[in-house]
Amino acid sequence: MPKRKLDPLPSAAFQILLALAGEDLHGYGIMRQVAAQTEGRLRLGPGTLYSSIQTLLEAKLIEELEPREDAALGTGRRRYYRLTTAGRKLARAEADRLADLLRVARTKKILRGEYV
Amino acid sequence: MSEKLYAFLLRLFPSRFRQSYGEDALQLFRDRARHETGLPSRLRLWLDLLADLAISVPREYFYAQPELLSASAGQTPGSPSFHVLDNDAPRPGALVFGFALSVAALLTFSTLLNQGGQHRALRASASPRQSFASRATRHPASASPQAADDSSFSVAGETSQQAFASASASPAATTNAELPSMQNAQPTAVVVTPSTSPFFAARGSLENLQPDASSKPGATQDLIDAFERHRVITGATAALQQHYPDREIARKMAESLITHERRGDDNAAANGPIFATLLTRQMRDISNDLHLDVAYSGTPLPDNPDHRTPQAQAAYRDFLLQNNCTFAKVELLPGNIGYLRLDSFPELATCRKTAVAAMHQLNRANALIFDLRDNRGGEPQTVSFFASYLFDHPEYFYNPRENTSSASWTDSPVPGNLLADKPVYILTSSHTFSGAEQFCYDLKMLKRATLIGETTGGGAHAGVFHRLDDHFGIGIPEATPINPYSPADWAEVGVRPDVKVPAADALATAQKLALAKLQQK
Repeated sequence: MPKRKLDPLPSAAFQILLALAGEDLHGYGIMRQVAAQTEGRLRLGPGTLYSSIQTLLEAKLIEELEPREDAALGTGRRRYYRLTTAGRKLARAEADRLADLLRVARTKKILRGEYV
Repeated sequence: MSEKLYAFLLRLFPSRFRQSYGEDALQLFRDRARHETGLPSRLRLWLDLLADLAISVPREYFYAQPELLSASAGQTPGSPSFHVLDNDAPRPGALVFGFALSVAALLTFSTLLNQGGQHRALRASASPRQSFASRATRHPASASPQAADDSSFSVAGETSQQAFASASASPAATTNAELPSMQNAQPTAVVVTPSTSPFFAARGSLENLQPDASSKPGATQDLIDAFERHRVITGATAALQQHYPDREIARKMAESLITHERRGDDNAAANGPIFATLLTRQMRDISNDLHLDVAYSGTPLPDNPDHRTPQAQAAYRDFLLQNNCTFAKVELLPGNIGYLRLDSFPELATCRKTAVAAMHQLNRANALIFDLRDNRGGEPQTVSFFASYLFDHPEYFYNPRENTSSASWTDSPVPGNLLADKPVYILTSSHTFSGAEQFCYDLKMLKRATLIGETTGGGAHAGVFHRLDDHFGIGIPEATPINPYSPADWAEVGVRPDVKVPAADALATAQKLALAKLQQK
């Protein structure tokens, strides 16, 4: 049976890790955070969001916290998620990889300087 | 309304996913729906959701299978469940076990295939029941006066018969094993039975006794009692376990004989010939081996059936010399067809010159007819000698009495011989017996000769004779030669002719066929 793969890291999973880097969030919070950090280009639908969360949980890159009320939204208890040490490490490694790519792209004059 | 619609759409996801995240997904929808108002936002929301569904539903199903299975297994405890293997490689132990199991299965299969094949062939070609039928018809025949005449070494006409017979009745002394059997040392046993022919003599075959055994069935001196039956059965089981090549089958046959005795199955057999036939059938029921035989002799058996005398040997040689080595007729028939009437296969030590001369005389014939209608057998060596003329290369010649060896091949080509590619016809009758049947059987199987006449007598004489008591003996095959044609040979069933005509008409039929064949060329 195929297992969900995190290598290479799917962009949705990477965005979730980045979203959780700042604070612990529930599902909707993650979605909003991802939308914010991509300037609205990536809005995770429920299916993609929760299947990615499930994969990351199985890989122990994030962990689930005790459900609690969100003061701002206020409609019932929600499951919150937190980045684990392994998750943080993986996110950093992915960022490094992308940085390397970026450096290559810059030497090839594909990117203009001011963008980075 | 739209929430209900999305809740409905959520059912597209696998149940496992819905159980874990269905509520969260719905809540996410509610949150977004609450925050994203206005037509463009709503439109964008639904576009997002549909795109998400299109991508995630198939993906969830792709990944969901193991969860589904384990979920269903968990839901019904106590019922049979499937455990799905993970991606992990199987343990080394499992691989070793799988390998061992495959090898065992393969071996079992091939073994069964071998065994099964053999049994089928045996049954097909000669079931014990059929063979008994043929025995039954043969023996009374040989008890008749006409057959008794044939059964003596009949090439020779009356005078020589008497000479031979009286010679055989002379006192015994030891000679070499190659000798024709003159094993009937009793002065009263004047008739040299057909099977006393040299072919089997060396092995002391049991078949020699049979015409004698059946000559007076039911006579008072043939009556036997339980003690004698027990003695014979004890002797037979011991001989089987000592001499039969397949130990397992020997053990089973011995057990069967003892079981039949205990059950009282043998009690009805009040006389010798019937009891011998009964024991033979009991053994063959287990082994399907037509070379196994128990025989009864009305006259007491000599102490040592292999005991042959120089006098008997000398008598046999005299007989051969006086009778042209049983070459009854050698001539060329119209159409340059060679005709050889041979009434036995005599020992080469005495008759090589005669045999070579006969074949030389026929060397330029266009076709060859062997008349074996009165041939009761003889030396395997001589059978092979004649067969050697019929091939231009050594050919395997099956002989049920000899283990396969270099002697199993004909001595072809014979220098100067022109007969290797000429058509060959063999005339047979129901009296054609033993070594003569070997000649017929092998040449028929090799498609080298056309057999014309009657089905032959059915004496393979593969058994080695063992004396059980004064009247009973058992023939047990010890050689296991390779029969390339089928597991069963002509034992008990005879060799069937290619062209079935009464023996008396066989020569005319053969001449007609030979001429027709020669005209075709």
